[in-house]
Amino acid sequence: MKHNLTIALKSQSIAIERFLRVVRHRGFELHNLQLTMVNDQYHVEMSVDSDKPIYLLTTQLSKLIDVKDVIVNDKQHTAVAI
Amino acid sequence: MTGAELTIDLLAKHGVNEVFGYPGGAIMPIYDALYGAPVKHYLTRHEQGAGFAAVGFARSTGKLGVCFATSGPGATNLITALADAMMDSVPLLAITGQVPTAAIGSDAFQEVDVLGMSLSCTKHSYMVERAEDLAEILQEAMHLAQSGRPGPVLVDIPKDIQMAQVPFKPWLAADEYLPELDLAQVAIANQLLHDAKQPVAYIGGGVQAANAQNELMQFLTKTQMPAVSTLKALGSVMPQYEYDLGMLGMHGGQAANIAVQECDVLVCIGARFDDRVTGNLAKFAAKAKIIHLDIDAAEVGKRKSAQASLIADLKTSLPALDGVLTPTQWREHNKAMMLKHAWRYDYPGEKVFAPYLLNQLSQRMPQTGVVCCDVGQHQMWVAQHMKFNHPSNHLSSGGAGTMGFGLPAAIGAQVARPNDFVITVSGDGSIMMNIQELATIRRNNLPVKILILDNQRLGMVRQWQELFFDGRYSETNLSDNPDFVQLAGVFGIPGQTITKATEVDDAITALVNSEGPYILHACIDDKENVWPLVPPGAANDEMMTEKA
Repeated sequence: MKHNLTIALKSQSIAIERFLRVVRHRGFELHNLQLTMVNDQYHVEMSVDSDKPIYLLTTQLSKLIDVKDVIVNDKQHTAVAI
Repeated sequence: MTGAELTIDLLAKHGVNEVFGYPGGAIMPIYDALYGAPVKHYLTRHEQGAGFAAVGFARSTGKLGVCFATSGPGATNLITALADAMMDSVPLLAITGQVPTAAIGSDAFQEVDVLGMSLSCTKHSYMVERAEDLAEILQEAMHLAQSGRPGPVLVDIPKDIQMAQVPFKPWLAADEYLPELDLAQVAIANQLLHDAKQPVAYIGGGVQAANAQNELMQFLTKTQMPAVSTLKALGSVMPQYEYDLGMLGMHGGQAANIAVQECDVLVCIGARFDDRVTGNLAKFAAKAKIIHLDIDAAEVGKRKSAQASLIADLKTSLPALDGVLTPTQWREHNKAMMLKHAWRYDYPGEKVFAPYLLNQLSQRMPQTGVVCCDVGQHQMWVAQHMKFNHPSNHLSSGGAGTMGFGLPAAIGAQVARPNDFVITVSGDGSIMMNIQELATIRRNNLPVKILILDNQRLGMVRQWQELFFDGRYSETNLSDNPDFVQLAGVFGIPGQTITKATEVDDAITALVNSEGPYILHACIDDKENVWPLVPPGAANDEMMTEKA
């Protein structure tokens, strides 16, 4: 199932590597990624696909120190923020 | 003050009095700052040894463990210890030297992208890019390693930043986001507890991480609930607790595994439904409603859905549970099951029976002693046949299952607790993985005891080859092992070899009474297996036993 996420990240390139590693390792296929700098933070719009429930990814991403915010934009999902 | 001096100064200010490491080119300024500093450095003989010594230090005390390594191979040698600490949630700070900033990315001598390598095996990691950031990064790193769910943090410091003049900036930890206990979930959990006829408490390593043994025992004492433990949790439930069923899982006791399979409510306390615990997940506690207590929201629902989730520090969540007394019939049933499936030590053979030896050792060594395991059959025998009164007294590589863990972890535990009895229980395979650390024992005259259970095999792999690979014993024969007592003797460590059951009692006496380091080399039957065993894909009540 495809999911759209919005993520706010610390503006360091290692933060991108760190969260993308988690996306891959936790079994989510990356379909789209847009990265912009907003207010000294990376703003990421991303779509991923997996047969796993999306909370298995959002809870892992939310643990990362560099990740400031994770929001699931799917209509059927309540937004998840940390 | 240079970056190197600041690093040592900050460690000392944060109460770090002992570190483990190995010097090299890119970390020389830090070693220069160590010279004459109040922080005592223990030189191991391999960076992996330093990493595991720091893990042993941390796990035996609950304090931060710290290790140093140089760039390139020094740092890569630390990676296994970082992965081990990540899997077992150990508060660890690794400081690595890096080539000078200007050389980064040029494939310089001993340059490795350690920050990149650290991503999958640390809670967080840094490479210091500006000298003015060093103080803040180090303070934040020490805080992160120990806060929330603990874990390893790596700080990679380029050599030029170690040598630069750096400002000290005090850093105050921001209030960490800790989830507030959801009272609606607490109410659901308590209703489940009130409705339960056959509840079981499933205890994990989170109890030690949260320093919540008291809260756990208060809950168990009130509820009298049968309790099962993961490998990492052993010692969390006090040995005198009447309904302690011991370890569950692949090599767990039958009473423990059957209780979980039969229970109607499973209270998971700081555990994570690891595959070695659950066996066939779909069949694990299939009739049970789950109450899951954990500080890490990512663990709840990761492998098994929960009907109630209490995401908070166990010191907060455990007291929120009602102390509902467990029905008598269920308690008595489990006591009867414990008796029915009690371990037996009446081994008929003339050879040394490892479970008997370990059980005797457990009874005769000081209660405050620390047992550091390696990985394999002996590790499971320790878990089955030794008793612990605190998880900091049983150090075993759980999630990562790292052979070579035991000896350096024992060094770290002995440094941390110099007045306590510390022993590594190893196998003839595992001991050779970090055997160089005998030199660290000798250099520091550490009274670490060493017990090698020697079956001249990679015993656990051999067992699986026997049971599941048609007896095709591929690369598990170690009958060309060195003479371990002679080997230890080269490092000034006395000891003895035993081969017969009749020698066990006197050998334990000699081991326990030895003042300095000592090695007991016990030769056991090469065909001895660990029982019971839940075979791959089976449910936990489908255990293979010796007679099967």
